[in-house]
Parts: sequence; C-alpha cells; structure tokens
Amino acid sequence: MASITSSKSRKALDRNRDPLLKVKVTIGVIVAIVFIVPIIWMLFVSIKPDGFSTSNPIAWFLPPYTISNYVTIIMDSLILRWLFNSFFVALVTTILTLAITSLAAFAISQMKFRFKNFIFIFFLLGLMIPGEATIIPLYEIVKSMNLIDSYAGLILPMIASPLGVIILKSFFDGVPKEVIESAIIDGCSYFKLFYKIVLPLAKPAMAAIGIFTFIGSWNNFLWPYLSILSETLYTLPVGLPVFNSTYSQAYVLPMTANAIASIPVIIAFLIFEKQIVKGISFTGIKG
Amino acid sequence: MNKKAWIKDMKAVPFLLPFFIAYLIFTILPIFKGLQMSLYDWNLVKKMDFVGLENYVDMIKDPFFWQTLWNTTLFVILTTPTMVLLALGLALLANLNTKLKTFFRGSFFLPSILSVAVISFLAIFMLQPYSGLVNTVIQAIGIEAEPFWMADKTLAWVSIVGVTLWWSVGFNMILFLTSLQEIPDTYYEASEIDGATRWEQFRYITLPQLIPIGRVIILLQILASYKVFAQILLITGGGPGGATRPLIQYIYEVGFTQNNLGYAATMSYALFFILLILSIIQLKNQRLEEN
Repeated sequence: MASITSSKSRKALDRNRDPLLKVKVTIGVIVAIVFIVPIIWMLFVSIKPDGFSTSNPIAWFLPPYTISNYVTIIMDSLILRWLFNSFFVALVTTILTLAITSLAAFAISQMKFRFKNFIFIFFLLGLMIPGEATIIPLYEIVKSMNLIDSYAGLILPMIASPLGVIILKSFFDGVPKEVIESAIIDGCSYFKLFYKIVLPLAKPAMAAIGIFTFIGSWNNFLWPYLSILSETLYTLPVGLPVFNSTYSQAYVLPMTANAIASIPVIIAFLIFEKQIVKGISFTGIKG
Repeated sequence: MNKKAWIKDMKAVPFLLPFFIAYLIFTILPIFKGLQMSLYDWNLVKKMDFVGLENYVDMIKDPFFWQTLWNTTLFVILTTPTMVLLALGLALLANLNTKLKTFFRGSFFLPSILSVAVISFLAIFMLQPYSGLVNTVIQAIGIEAEPFWMADKTLAWVSIVGVTLWWSVGFNMILFLTSLQEIPDTYYEASEIDGATRWEQFRYITLPQLIPIGRVIILLQILASYKVFAQILLITGGGPGGATRPLIQYIYEVGFTQNNLGYAATMSYALFFILLILSIIQLKNQRLEEN
C-alpha cells in the first residue's frame, strides 16, 4: 500500500515538475518528422513506377509500388561497383589507420627511447594541419608516386591520423603498471605485450576511432573528387552526382540510386546507433 | 650505456615507423611542397618557372579570391550560431523524460550518416520549382508562391544553410546531449526544494553546465564551416553567378580547370593560415577545459 502511494506521488511529482512536457514532446515529434521525411520520401519515390510525377505531395507515398527501378539500376549502372569501392576503401582505410596509430601510440605510451617527447609533439602538430588546405600539393605528391586514380592513392593519404594516436595513447596510459611489469618479467616481447594484453583492453577506444574513420572515409568527397578519374574507381559521393546529372527532370531512377547508396548505412546505423553515439561523445570531447 | 640506449631505441622503431612514414609523406611534406609550388608558375603539364612572390601579389589583387573568401566567411557566420542553437534545442528535446527519447535522438542524427551526394540530391529535387516537395507543401498549406530556390542569391543561401543544418546538426546535438546527461540529478532536486521554477533551473543550472562543451562546439563548428565545399558545389554549383561559391571551390577551379596549380597552392596557403589560427585557438581552449 505504502509503495503504491509513493509511486503515485512520485508520478504526481513528475507531472508537477514539467507541466509543459506534453507540449514539448509534441514539438519533438514534429521536428523529428521534419528530419526524417526527406529520407522516407526518398525510399518511397524509389519504389514508384519510372517516370512518375505529381504535384500532390501525398501521392508520392501512395501505391502503386514497384521494385523494377532497383533491378534497372543494379543491372544498368555502376552504382553497385561504387558502393563496393566506397565500402572497400573505407574498410581498408579503417584497418590501416587502426594498425599504424595503435602501434605508434603503444610505443609512445609504454616504451622507453630517446626523443620520445619530441616525436610525440611532432605528431601532435598534425592536429593543427587542415587537410583541405594542403590538398593541391598532396595531389602533386601522390601524382609523383604514380598513385593518382588508384585505390592506394585513395587510401594511403588518409591513414596517418594524429587524433587516433593521441586518443589511443591516453587509453594505453591507463593500463595498470603491474599488468605491464609482470608481463615483461615473464619474458613477454613488446609485440606480444601490445597484441595480447594492451590492445584487447583498448577495445572501446579502437571501436570509437574505427567508426569515425569509417564514416569519414565513406563520406569523403574532396580527395576522391580530385584523385579519381576512371568511372570504375569512383566512390559513391563522387559517382552519384555524375549519375544524377544525367537526369534533369525525372525523379524516380536517380532517387533509386540514392536509396541504394543509403540503405546499407541506414541499416548499419540502426544496428550500431549506441556505439556511434558513444563514439561521438568520446572523440568529440577528447579532441 | 650508449649501446644499450641504442638497442632500446631500435625496439621502438618498428612500432613508430609505419605511422611516421605515412605522416611524413602525406601530412608534413605537403606543407613544404605547397610553399614551393606557391613560388612557381606551376601547371599540370610543364611546370617550374620561378616567380617569387608574384602569386601572392596576384592573390591580393584578385577580386574572386576576396569574394570567395567572403562567401566562405558568410557561410561560417550564418551556420555557426544557428547550428549551435538548433543543436542545443534538439538535445533538450532528446533529453525529455519520455519513451520517445531514442526515437528523437535517432531521427535528429539520421541525416548525418547520409553521403553528401545523397543529401545534396535530395535538396535539389525537394527544392525544385513546380514539382519539388517543399514547394508543393508550401502550396498545399495555402501559400500562393513558387519560389525559385537556386535562382535567387538570398534563397540560395537559405537553401544551403538549411540543408547543412538538417544534414550535420546531429553531431553537435549528441555532444550537447552527453553533457546534459552528465549533470547530476541532485542539482535539480536541491533546487526544487529551494522552490526554483523550471526556467530558473534551466537558466542557473543547465545552461552554466553546458558552457564548456558549448565553447568546444562553437570552435569545432567554425573550423568545419571554413572547410565548406561539397554541398555548395553539388547544390548550387557556386551560383547564382558565383554568389555562393566558396574558397575551396575557387581553389579547385583555378588548379584543375584553369590549370594553374601554383596559384591554387598560394590560395590554399591563405586558407591554411586561417585554419591554423582557428585550430590553435581551439586546442588552447580544449586544454583550458581539461585543466
């Protein structure tokens, strides 16, 4: 009985706390709908018959539906190829970034060598160098390495992330000294220590950096736009506008191409939302 | 002793080397290469004609440089306050005591995961006169108007800023939201006992607690907005008549359409120094927050 009254009064208190809660939730619902309507609209347009057009906004969302646009796009365009390119480049960029930043961060955090502070500060300087402002000389450098218009040219310039080193170093610093020392006394090599002990403890930081690197690469526009010339090597952000520009008044087919480009990321987002949100607060606050 | 130190150094080399090489070639080298290029009449085919500071003099006299730099700055001025306020508002909504919390957070963030190509394309077709979703909705609610969003200078800016807000506010919203959730409940409980109103709680507890993250968000936003390029290129192409063309687009056109990489590198240097100063301020601020 007592617990019932207390939970009742607790509820009453909550209601007293914010008399405007209902109004605010309603505003929230309206704003949320405004945010997702364009995306839902895209998905509905993509299943309308090719050539469909209307001035009634509701009609876009009503049947008839068809999936033939998807078949057309998949068969007759390079969208799937670009989707694969984007995925492949993002995946390899992420793996290489994680590998080289974690190795460097481990050395700076756990090993003793001369000029360590100097090297760390040298890496820190990279935080202040805006990639967008060095893209013209970067183009010349990559060209002189014969890597323009190649996967390697897309990937390699993007992997040296100073922010990754800094975040991982501060994470590795937190590994208990006793764990490290007892491993060294047991005759553990540095590489084994890194791979078997320190790295597994740094999973949350690795996940955050991995998610960010992947999303960054997936959405990267400027560098692929400059460095890729062949249609078969386009990534989605570069290929889609080229594809879209061949249609000026027709909605349906280009919208299907955009939907195909977006559905995998939307699904990935729904699955990994928690990790993505955590990753943002983690890296955003750290740097 | 010396030999021992040397052996220790050698052990660190394999760990440091892969990052060091990539960093040196792709991050550090471009700074020096850019300086060299800016001193030459440098094009894609036959390069190398030393011209000294001529490119820099040209830049100062170039009205398009100043116009595009101003356009980029205008974009920063328009997006920063709106982005921060909208992010704060959305974070407050996503922090409401309701079951719809996760739905709110997900909806506000969802556009940010889409590719810039997709959001730009959606914007173009939604804002098209006569058949676009925005104009048909405007008319459906009874407003007799047929705005041409891309043809008018002001409307083009409204479109770009609006689309950018919709696309990328989610990131800042999450940063605010995390900070909101870190404010201890006891602060609110204590103030309730003291008879504080909701507004007083917001004004004297919530807002002051959000100031540190707010400062980080403002600086990160200014930095990000100075790098604007893709969505403007794809939505308005810099038009109408160059009215929305940002500096990076002009650098790209000078370098790759007009084949004048030396001058493009010179203007990149100007952008480099603007961004360098901003990121030094940003890092100083961050260090301040951490202490």
